[in-house]
Amino acid sequence: MKNIVEIKNLCYSVSESAVFTKPTEKFILENISFSVQQGKIVGVAGESGSGKTTLAKIIAGILPPTSGTITFDLSDEWKNTTTKPVQILFQNSTDILNPLRNIDDILDEAIETRYRKNDMELKKNILEAVKVPEKLSHKKGFELSGGEQQRIALARILAVKPEILILDEPFSAQDPPSQLNLLNLLGAINKEYHITMLCISHNLKILRELCDEIIIIYKGKIVESGYVRDVLVNPKNAYTKFLLKAENYSLSYNEIQNELEDLRIE
Amino acid sequence: MLNKYKRNANSVIKTNLKKLIVNKGEYHSTLLREVSFELCKNNIYSIVGKNGTGKSTLIKALTGLLDTRFYTIDGEVFYDNVNLLNIDSEQLRKIRKTGIKYVFQDARNCFDPLKKLSYYFKNTTSNELEVNELLQYFLLPKASELFKLRSYELSGGMAQRISLILALLAHPALIILDEPTSGIDSAIANLFLLKLKEYVITNPSAILVVTQDITFAEKISDKIALLTNHTLTEFFPPSIFFEYHKNAGLDDLIQSYIKLEK
Repeated sequence: MKNIVEIKNLCYSVSESAVFTKPTEKFILENISFSVQQGKIVGVAGESGSGKTTLAKIIAGILPPTSGTITFDLSDEWKNTTTKPVQILFQNSTDILNPLRNIDDILDEAIETRYRKNDMELKKNILEAVKVPEKLSHKKGFELSGGEQQRIALARILAVKPEILILDEPFSAQDPPSQLNLLNLLGAINKEYHITMLCISHNLKILRELCDEIIIIYKGKIVESGYVRDVLVNPKNAYTKFLLKAENYSLSYNEIQNELEDLRIE
Repeated sequence: MLNKYKRNANSVIKTNLKKLIVNKGEYHSTLLREVSFELCKNNIYSIVGKNGTGKSTLIKALTGLLDTRFYTIDGEVFYDNVNLLNIDSEQLRKIRKTGIKYVFQDARNCFDPLKKLSYYFKNTTSNELEVNELLQYFLLPKASELFKLRSYELSGGMAQRISLILALLAHPALIILDEPTSGIDSAIANLFLLKLKEYVITNPSAILVVTQDITFAEKISDKIALLTNHTLTEFFPPSIFFEYHKNAGLDDLIQSYIKLEK
């Protein structure tokens, strides 16, 4: 299997300045290097503020990196289209769809942008793939529940048939039954549509089920990466161990104190 | 009224809600029916349930926090020999100030953004030593710095920690927490768990948590109940709770938890 994306020494920094002081450079991401094989699902885990979403935005091309390279190995068909081969599904919220637009309209637009024609068959198929009943497609965005909106947003992405799909905290704000549904859905889409996926989440339990490989980020750096069955079963890095204990709520006071001491405002 | 309530020395609150009805214009629906439970000292209780089952509404109903224009409650809530659904708002306010404290999900919006945090602390306690101890325990800045801040200057996690500290400072007989783990890092939620376990052992108090984070409920609780189909199941110790609901199949919440977890 070829590497569909290869990231080398990626850095992202912002300059922080206060009045009367020289601006200082603050690294959000530092020397990130990894590659993703075509067809795999890779998880990116870390606590809030670790730089996960910034990484997603850089790979999707929304933010330019400060330094470093990202190399994609994609098929030639993307040269003639205006749509992008890397798509991103943003964090689940009610802002994900235009509340006043017809679902049909939203999907038709995506299909037309990609294929320059209307395709009822394709629309039917993708609605089936995201398990949304066809009758919902006549509704408007605001009439759908949060979970339905997310699935329509996913359908809109599938209409473009991207090669890489980045998912930013898709499981947040959902109860376990909905999480399990989405988990199965994403697994099926990965197989059926051959889409490589990068899933950002702080929920290690779900990443363990969904992903082949996982990357653990701490303060903008990769601290551990590898196969899920290695990293999450026999973690080597102290921070990975901390995360695993934290999500089971089995940390002692000292362990929390050591980890969080530097978050305290002095 | 007093005769109805046979006092159990360990009881903190005894609830019997026959019906809780939501009325919005023409629309009436029974959200909860036959919800009864008793919470005892030195115990942590959790109510778990999916989104929209009425968990938050239930805990707000206990101290009359629901808007009576939209909610009709038929039932009683006994606390300290009085029925909370039957007393005037002045008495209720007193009970909410010292007896039953809430830590809401959206902690940041529980503070008036125009008031400094010192306002809240000074109205709760004069024990500076205890304040400093708790601030240190929760890894927050010292009182001298924290008190100058206003709520909009806090992160969600900080606001929630402060909200819990203010609840603890009042030494209430009951602390009610609504989704304490949502929107905060699990390490901070872990900190909550340790402190609440300590509090409930060292004080003659009970704690009630409502959440959909079943891992948290399992780790923190002495007893758990499931809110489903508009009513509350019996409170069971965690191990029995999971055994029972695995077979009962009342709700897919527990099933999916077991699938993801085990």
